Amino acid sequence: MTETVVDQVSVQVIGNAMLSVAEEMGAVLRRASYSTNIKERVDCSTALFDAQGRLVAQAEHIPIHMGSMKGLVQALLDQKGAEQLRAGDVYITNDPYTGGGTHLPDITMVAPVFHDGGLVGFSANIAHHSDVGGHVPGSNSGDSTSIFQEGLRIPMVRFMIDGAVNEEVLAFVTLNSRLPEERRGDLLAQLAAVHTGGIRFAELHELHGSAVIDAACAQLLDYARRRLEVAVAAIPDGTYTAADWLDSDSPGQEPIRIQTAITVAGEEISIDFAGTGRQADVAINVVRSALEATVYYALKAALDPDIPANGGFFDAVRIDAPLGSIVNPRPPAAVAARTDACQRVADVLLAALAKAVPGRVPAGSHSSITYVTFAGPDDEFFVYPEVIAGGAGARSDRDGLDAVQVHVTNSSNLPIEALELEYPLRVDTYELITDSGGVGEHRGGLGVRRDIRVLSGQADFSAHADRQTFPPLGLEGGGDGTTGRFILRPGTETERTLPGGRVSGITLDHGDVVRIESPGSGGYGDPFARPPELVARDVAQGRVSADSALRDYGVVLTGDGAVDAGATARVRGDRREG
Amino acid sequence: MIRIGVDVGGTFTDVTALDTGSGRFHIFKLPSTGHDQSIAVADGIRHVLGDAGRTPDDVTYLGHGTTVATNALLELKGATTALLVTGGVPDVLEIARQRRPHLYDLFADKPRVLVPRELTFGVAERLAASGEVVLELTDAEIERVAAELEACGAESVAICFLHSYRDAAHETRVEDALARRLPEVFVSRSSRVAPEFREYERFSTAVINSFIGPVVSRYIRRLGERVAEAGLPVGPRVIQSNGGLASTDAVAERPVTTLLSGPSAGVVGASYLAGLAGIGDLITFDMGGTSTDVCLIRDGRPASANERGLGGYPIRVPSVDVHTIGAGGGSIASVDGAGGLRVGPESAGARPGPAAYGHGGTRPTTTDANVVRGRQNPESALGGAMPIDSTAAERAVATVAEGLGTSVVEAARGIGRLANSHMARAVRQVSVEAGEDPRQYVLMAYGGAGPLHAAEVAAEVGMTRLLVPPNPGTLCALGLLVSDVRSEFTSSFLRRAEPDTLPALNEAVAALVAEGKAWLAGEARIAQRHDVTVLADARYPRQNFELRIPLPSAGLDESSLASVVADFHAQHEKAYGFAHPDSPVQLVNLRAIAHGEVAKPDMPRVSAGSATPEPDALLGTRDVDFGEEHGALRTPVLDRAKLKSGNTFAGPAIVEQLDSTTVVPPGWSSTVDDFGNLLIEVDAE
Repeated sequence: MTETVVDQVSVQVIGNAMLSVAEEMGAVLRRASYSTNIKERVDCSTALFDAQGRLVAQAEHIPIHMGSMKGLVQALLDQKGAEQLRAGDVYITNDPYTGGGTHLPDITMVAPVFHDGGLVGFSANIAHHSDVGGHVPGSNSGDSTSIFQEGLRIPMVRFMIDGAVNEEVLAFVTLNSRLPEERRGDLLAQLAAVHTGGIRFAELHELHGSAVIDAACAQLLDYARRRLEVAVAAIPDGTYTAADWLDSDSPGQEPIRIQTAITVAGEEISIDFAGTGRQADVAINVVRSALEATVYYALKAALDPDIPANGGFFDAVRIDAPLGSIVNPRPPAAVAARTDACQRVADVLLAALAKAVPGRVPAGSHSSITYVTFAGPDDEFFVYPEVIAGGAGARSDRDGLDAVQVHVTNSSNLPIEALELEYPLRVDTYELITDSGGVGEHRGGLGVRRDIRVLSGQADFSAHADRQTFPPLGLEGGGDGTTGRFILRPGTETERTLPGGRVSGITLDHGDVVRIESPGSGGYGDPFARPPELVARDVAQGRVSADSALRDYGVVLTGDGAVDAGATARVRGDRREG
Repeated sequence: MIRIGVDVGGTFTDVTALDTGSGRFHIFKLPSTGHDQSIAVADGIRHVLGDAGRTPDDVTYLGHGTTVATNALLELKGATTALLVTGGVPDVLEIARQRRPHLYDLFADKPRVLVPRELTFGVAERLAASGEVVLELTDAEIERVAAELEACGAESVAICFLHSYRDAAHETRVEDALARRLPEVFVSRSSRVAPEFREYERFSTAVINSFIGPVVSRYIRRLGERVAEAGLPVGPRVIQSNGGLASTDAVAERPVTTLLSGPSAGVVGASYLAGLAGIGDLITFDMGGTSTDVCLIRDGRPASANERGLGGYPIRVPSVDVHTIGAGGGSIASVDGAGGLRVGPESAGARPGPAAYGHGGTRPTTTDANVVRGRQNPESALGGAMPIDSTAAERAVATVAEGLGTSVVEAARGIGRLANSHMARAVRQVSVEAGEDPRQYVLMAYGGAGPLHAAEVAAEVGMTRLLVPPNPGTLCALGLLVSDVRSEFTSSFLRRAEPDTLPALNEAVAALVAEGKAWLAGEARIAQRHDVTVLADARYPRQNFELRIPLPSAGLDESSLASVVADFHAQHEKAYGFAHPDSPVQLVNLRAIAHGEVAKPDMPRVSAGSATPEPDALLGTRDVDFGEEHGALRTPVLDRAKLKSGNTFAGPAIVEQLDSTTVVPPGWSSTVDDFGNLLIEVDAE
């Protein structure tokens, strides 16, 4: 048998066609789903796999999903074996320890695809479900201490058997959710999507022939691997290291260190997390699939943002993580809020890569999931969750972005008007925080201040956030960003800054205000090299205070805000010498 | 009597005149005058009048498409704009929806905030979501911000207060005060420009309106003067993003409604011509130099959107839902370090343009690949007016051939196939997002390059029918001749569709309908029939998306309300596959669509011919490459101007005309209909 080789352009054309199939699956999933989370926030991804279970085309919306997708079909093949797979069967799982998942709310579904009687690939999708049971509504608490508190663990089981929905499994899952009707609707939407994907994928096999599609899949994987290898080959050989800290995970506990060593030898790259600290007591542990997704994000962002989203990428990277550490926890470690730690892993990887490809990686970003929840009785019981963005790191040629989500997440805020229409709350303040960006030739992005006032009789406040102890780091002489914090009743006699980012069960009365401040980001380069006109502009725009302009940037402004060039030169010169 | 449509694009200004007396079209293309688009507009009008042997007095209608607003926003060349915003939330525009612009590109930037932070002024006032006043706006505060605004020297300002969609009183008090005190400042208030909840999108739309307002106003004034100087007895009507026309006064007040109008006239023209040809379900495929616009038309109605983006800014105005991708004739091809071919989104633009155009371009483009393969005339374009340098094209494509390790022709095929594959993905996207199977649709190809690529794009998607209009390169200008007058009036309602709310609902609908009728009375003198239809954006409570459902335009009672609610459940079921018939339904926004139907001119027909094109329609033959399967084939080249109704010919064939080239591949056949459209279909097996 001769191996089929497909010309490069045909490979790319078939790749586009498979991406279209994944996109159509996404359209079906969004249209048919019940929950806002999938429909509006698009917290879902869809993909096709080849017969060996390798991810070949993914329509991606959320970087973290890459990991779950990649692990899913491998887990299916490992557990069931290809010979057990039947047309008309569809599998479902959400388990981080056995099913390739990263946390329980992300339910994946996968269907083997058959053509001419043979297994030719898989159609799959992932969707974030708004509740899968567990000890808090939303199944996404930061303070659970075991995965058994986090909701229903679904092993790799059949959701559809021989073309009929497995009503027993459906009943099992819906009974374990606080929102059973919504679960039912979203699961059936996922089923419709894998079904569509399967039909379309089989049509492609029919059109081009399976030998051509298989060869094209192999070459697509090879192409992604080569893209990464080309980028890696441009890096000088060596080992690049970095470390940073997660705030203490629970009272009395020490902070957790995240450490990485990236070794480059020719076209090969390996990443070792040796030296990384213990697994956490709370739900911020990162299982293998989440770690791989984070590595994928960081390498792609630093080296080549256009590398196609397929499994070939991983063939070019070796990842080692010590067992029992936060980046390779032993079951049943809790994982719901794993993105808190993924963000720090991304920071550390990028900080190491900053040494490997200087100038192409920004300073440290806010990299915190600043997650707050207000809940309480009103006309009906309400729960308002929100994640507040912060500053993104300054770049080698420009300032950092203010108020954005970074790294493995990119979720929207809820508009103030929508919030106030739905909940007994009012937003008194929503603004950028002056001086929160790290100083530098290029200034760090600013953090956000959001003051929320309770209008109902009483409400409960809980939150988890990081970077309230360890700030985002500056780069190449740039200053660090500010840390985040939560303040109760700011500006009153009973004002109180909460002791850390992980709090729960704080009772608020009518009229009480919680001030949420997210971190700014690190600056890049020597602040004295920043053109004084830009500092004056920042002061005029309230991004930097006049005090900081003088203290940190050595820029003297006149009464009307213009640069006093002579005085500035003297101050900068004196301090450089001093 | 003569009707004129003038469409201004980045490179060319297209003028189409229809002489209703002779039943003939007069078409003229001239270079756009970027610094003042109205110069080319007036010159073009004079030219077609001369061509038609008519005088300015004969002009009864002038439809106009302009990119002045679009360019001002994309090039960030708008006015110095200030923002008056509810105190405490100065950074709604800076923070936006807190998403970063690109998932992986750490050097991507957010679009520049159009109001610098030092021109943002907090105003002490506040409404609750109920509309109740939390903090009263005082006259002293109005006085204070007016003074600050005066001192800052801004040319325009946007007034953006939280919950102003509920009660516009605070915004209008400030607006009135500014009109008295600073009459030369262009003022937009959010409750007028986009009166819907969700502050970032509303504020963004209002700020953009003010940013482009002074620029558009100046243009509209100059245009009016030039049209008057040219002696036309009618003023221009300007196409908006929704595909409807509006007066220059209406556009000067709300220029934001024209921002996405570029492709909308083409869609209107495509929909109209296809309708005459008896085709209601089509996907438009408008391929130009730098981009391709695709739009789904179902049952004669183009898809519409309440909100679209431009340059990264959300714009909350109704528009034809056109999907744009960065692939066009000028898209640059290259080979990356891993051996992968890339085509676009980088474009050679108008300058230097494709290598074949001889304006100094050296990098290979899609156009160069077409020249190399003989699909595009390798000697000249524009009917001989523009020489083509096929050697330069080959030289450029050879760089890709080297990277791929193939022959030049193979590289040119690869460029074409990959470009087609990108465009096919866009065609699939607009159909599957609407839940439609593109294979049931006709692909309508226009723009300079659309008919060159349409058959391959259709084949990639599995579509089997193409329609190529008589003048593909100037379809937008034609669309301007067949557009209706249209505007939309919105108010936020945010109450449940229940008997208790009937009085308020009837009152709100009556107010909107009155507003629509008043607008039509002023705007639609050129229209024969006026109608105002009412719609509601409805949802289940706490959903974050809405569906549009029709409402009676007056006198809702309990039973008609019940049928509205039933209609919503049914539409929800249809659109999403499920409904909650027991759940209440919330009416988020009410919309009145004021529509004035403009009399459509009779489209000229081509004379009838036999089944075979006349001998003089054959310009000659040339070798054209039809891909790996067929290789180079000796292919007849037909003159579009000589084709007659009823002519039929099989591929391979090339049809040339001044503004476009149509490729009919082997296995496809073309017929000419009464209007001169080419209907190209896959041969039955």
